[in-house]
Amino acid sequence: MNASFEEKSVWIHLVCVLGTFILYCLVAWSMLSSGVDTLMPFVGVFLSSVVLLVILLVAGHLLAAVTGRIEKPDERDRLIVWRSESNSAWMLVVGIFAAITAMLFSLSNVWVAHILILSLYLSQTMQYLFQIRYYRRGV
Amino acid sequence: MKTPKPGTQSTITNSIRTLRHQHNEMTQQDLADRIGVSRQTVNAIEAAKYAPSLEVAFRIARVFDKAIEEVFQFHAP
Repeated sequence: MNASFEEKSVWIHLVCVLGTFILYCLVAWSMLSSGVDTLMPFVGVFLSSVVLLVILLVAGHLLAAVTGRIEKPDERDRLIVWRSESNSAWMLVVGIFAAITAMLFSLSNVWVAHILILSLYLSQTMQYLFQIRYYRRGV
Repeated sequence: MKTPKPGTQSTITNSIRTLRHQHNEMTQQDLADRIGVSRQTVNAIEAAKYAPSLEVAFRIARVFDKAIEEVFQFHAP
């Protein structure tokens, strides 16, 4: 792959975040289907997915470091991060407003929490996709 | 000289590839190491996919011992 370490890092983040989020969704969905309607059981699952994410990220970056050249982020990398964050932040804002709206309609804490988690993951995923687009097509 | 693709916003072109070849076939990695960016960033600048900061532009011009206008050309629409 003819990519800088920073671009490889974005790919690693994208794959790991998507993978752990899908895994979390599968487990959470099965819990909701079986009638779990309190927040605490989901906290353990969420924390487990975060720990798994960290392990996968460390392993992915170690692999990238061993197989390629490590370089510090330069001005282009920083510009790409700024623009991508700017373009994807609205998703998190939408999620926060959706969660507030859900609270106004007295939805359970489980749904409010999952609206926030979903918007967080979508915002992050969108940021990584923007970053890859800028790396590939120019910024 | 690299020219921007039709329909793109970029109006800054450069002669870096030509200058590299005139300087003992300098590689992108050599140039990147001398100006403090990654090889991929040099490649993006050459391909007009990224307009560098003034500081990096001056660093590139200094490597080739040229004025900045001889390395980068601005085309007003």
